[in-house]
Amino acid sequence: MTEHTHDAIEAPGHGSTLGDRAAYAVVRYRSGDPTALDAFVREATPLLWHTARSQGTPRELADDVVQSTWVALVRHVDTIEEPMATLKWLLITTKRTAWDVVRRHRTAERASAPLPDDDPTGPPRELVDDTSGPADLVLRDERDRALWDALATLPERCRTLLRLVSMADRPDYRAISEAVGMPVGSIGSTRGRCLAKLRTALRGTAAGQEGQS
Amino acid sequence: MIDDELDAGAPMDACDVATLAAVRELYAVLDPVPRGVAERSAFAMTIAALETEMMNLVGSGPLVGARSDAPVEARTITFTSERLTVMITIGPAGDGVRVDGWVAPGGGFAVELHRPDGVVRTSSDEDGRFVLEEVPHGAASIVVPAHAGEPAVSTPVVEL
Repeated sequence: MTEHTHDAIEAPGHGSTLGDRAAYAVVRYRSGDPTALDAFVREATPLLWHTARSQGTPRELADDVVQSTWVALVRHVDTIEEPMATLKWLLITTKRTAWDVVRRHRTAERASAPLPDDDPTGPPRELVDDTSGPADLVLRDERDRALWDALATLPERCRTLLRLVSMADRPDYRAISEAVGMPVGSIGSTRGRCLAKLRTALRGTAAGQEGQS
Repeated sequence: MIDDELDAGAPMDACDVATLAAVRELYAVLDPVPRGVAERSAFAMTIAALETEMMNLVGSGPLVGARSDAPVEARTITFTSERLTVMITIGPAGDGVRVDGWVAPGGGFAVELHRPDGVVRTSSDEDGRFVLEEVPHGAASIVVPAHAGEPAVSTPVVEL
């Protein structure tokens, strides 16, 4: 393995972010501990899964996108110059892999047989947020329904940002925002604005008021 | 980095935290992360450390003709790399599964099935066919080891 002389790093303690934990795992993995990434893989996989899904990856291919991303990390672990950039690297890789997998899958499908939803006049499937369809059927709980209705009124990027930010304890808003394609200048306030919009939308529902009071 | 720290540490009030927790629970219902994704990823990383080239998953689905009401149906998964295609059909057998595979182009390859607890070895015949009988359920990857100067290839980890 390549020597990374600036790899000295302190163990992330209380209040550490997901990005800190990513950096620490990568540094220890590079120093020769093959199990160093295990806990971080378990912790960050839901975030990567939802990143893949928010890029329009069908559920049955999202597993492959997440695996490919983690495999890419192992292959490129020595080329990551700044360990603190690991999380951002993972999110961007997930996004790119999602595009590749969706494109390859569509090409393979077209080569085999036309499918009903390949209707050229309809929206391209990778742009369809397919969580919105079954939501009404799946959500039995009234508070979940109210929350979903409120989320549905938000701009898509806000909805995606909140979805991803909710997936980890102290995630890095900057890395997530960049991966989602939100402006980088004012991430804290972007997250704040999205949360404020959600609260406003929730206030319009009885369940929301109950939940927020 | 200072920005990141300030930002990440920026106080979210209890209401923000509760709202995000509710969002997380909502997506756990709407779009749950399937069981075993993290474990399959970790195993795929172990196999990647063997310096294999990872094949692409190009398609999967129930085997044509399989009855939709069958309790355990056979399914077929296809993988490709630059020079090889591997297709496997997985069907029930005893307590586990039977894997019928095909490597193209044919010509007889060593074929390995890697599981977290070990490796099963076989080889494909001249037509590229191979069979692995009664493989236990669980995460597995098919590996075609390096040969004749060609690098080893491995499939993504699938749940048998």
